[in-house]
Amino acid sequence: MSQLVSNDAPLLRLHNVSRWYGQVIGLNDVTCDIGPGLTALLGQNGAGKSTLMRLITGQIRPTTGDVKVAGQDPFANPEVYRRIGYCPEIDNFYEHYSGRKFVEFLARLDGMSPAKAKARTNECITMVGMADRADRKIQGYSKGMRQRIKLAQAMLHNPDIILLDEPLNGLDPVGRREFIDLLGVLAAEGKCIMVSSHILFEVEQMTRSILLLHRGRLLATGDLRVIRSLIDKHPHQIRIETDEPRRMAELLAPLPNVVSMRFDRSGDALQLEVRDPDTFYDALAGFSIDNRLFIKGFSSPDNNLESVFKYLVGN
Amino acid sequence: MESAIFGQAIREYLRGRRIAPWLVLAGVCFLLASVWVKFDPTSQPDGRYAAVSSMLAFRILALASAIFTTAIISQEVEQKTIVYLLTRPVPRWKLLLIRYVASVTVVAALGIVAAVLTSLGAFKGLGGNDLLTGDIMAMVAGALAYGALFLFVSLLFNRALIICALFAFGWEASIPNMPGEMYRLSIFSYLQAIAQHPSNGDNKGISLLTGSAGDNLITRGSAITTLVILIVVMLSLSAWWFTKFEYVPREDAE
Repeated sequence: MSQLVSNDAPLLRLHNVSRWYGQVIGLNDVTCDIGPGLTALLGQNGAGKSTLMRLITGQIRPTTGDVKVAGQDPFANPEVYRRIGYCPEIDNFYEHYSGRKFVEFLARLDGMSPAKAKARTNECITMVGMADRADRKIQGYSKGMRQRIKLAQAMLHNPDIILLDEPLNGLDPVGRREFIDLLGVLAAEGKCIMVSSHILFEVEQMTRSILLLHRGRLLATGDLRVIRSLIDKHPHQIRIETDEPRRMAELLAPLPNVVSMRFDRSGDALQLEVRDPDTFYDALAGFSIDNRLFIKGFSSPDNNLESVFKYLVGN
Repeated sequence: MESAIFGQAIREYLRGRRIAPWLVLAGVCFLLASVWVKFDPTSQPDGRYAAVSSMLAFRILALASAIFTTAIISQEVEQKTIVYLLTRPVPRWKLLLIRYVASVTVVAALGIVAAVLTSLGAFKGLGGNDLLTGDIMAMVAGALAYGALFLFVSLLFNRALIICALFAFGWEASIPNMPGEMYRLSIFSYLQAIAQHPSNGDNKGISLLTGSAGDNLITRGSAITTLVILIVVMLSLSAWWFTKFEYVPREDAE
């Protein structure tokens, strides 16, 4: 397993960390160092992402192993919390508060004076694009607005380490773009940012540096492109919908990339396994035009997280 | 930081829907003390005051404490907002004790309001009630003692409100009436020792309702000492426990 996450002095260090919830294992023997920059924590639901976040934020203790944040045990440690900004996955607030009041209250808990808390709240609320809606009660907020308020409170005290648990959930495309850009700026400032997600496409837009969790185990760490290229060496599944699947099969069969093919049960689609999928994709467009084949739909189930896991677990 | 925690907790406790039922109950104290004379025309104002205060105002204190104190942490856990509090640079013991002080402030204020309204009903005014100062002291001591005990219970058990409410209504109403030294196991007996209410005479029914059917040989000084020890021990245990224990939303921990 290659270790391509930044090798600067690790702000976050996990050593043989396991966490059990009764008979259920949440995290299984995880060891990794995470330094400055943006690292994505990638895994399906139940993979252990939130458990890892809770261990780093000192809400829970590891059953075995050590968690260190800037060299300190994070559990109930105020010194660590001065350096951490945390955006939890939960969607719960003091619903009768306004977004501004909620963020300002947490700024006061960060030790800011009332005046500074007010000023910093304004800055953070503006940063997440909520300046015009911050005085409304949270109970009337949309999912995206609630997400923005959570982000604002995580950045209040200008922390070195920012942990964001599924932060893009509920954000609209513009909000996502703005948020990803903001993370890029913060990462460029040298902050250590960890973002959890279960959507591969989302993570690819943010960073190349990933930690891949699967059923509590750290399956891979490193550059997402390296993992992708490893996957691309193996046959990819592609599904092509067309009015003439038999003719298409006849024409595609001689291509060297094509490993296997079969007809879909519906009868209007062809399922292929191809090697070197990027070359195949490049060729397919011209091929269909030259042969006057109309492609109604095109998808690759391998471009999702499940296939990444399938590949890594299978090997 | 401390004022923000205190202010936020107080605002939560003083929300209209939470405080209104208690103010209504305090109003019932006033009504009961006012109409008592109709049922017992020979009663004196201080006797009426002592009976209604013991029977109702001190029960309101215990029950309010059970409800407000058990909410200090469990409410945050249930609404899952605990995560915002526990990931800020505030020592956990400080967070807990400040919220405890906020809860005690509200509960003591409710007890005092109930006592003052009882006095207004019994004496038809605020003057002439020599028992009120003792009762106010007892209300403050009671809010602190019940609060400390219930806080610890709420940290230990998931359904602490049921346990605390049973203690406030069942244990505290019955144990002071038990024969022998059993009464010493009730906080109410120590509060009565601080309040120094006059005897209810031969009326057994009223004595049972006011928790004064048993002997109470506790002096005011020893009552204060005992309650101070109880408060210090319970708060120390609570602070220690809260610093060591994991608080994550319940379904996430399963």
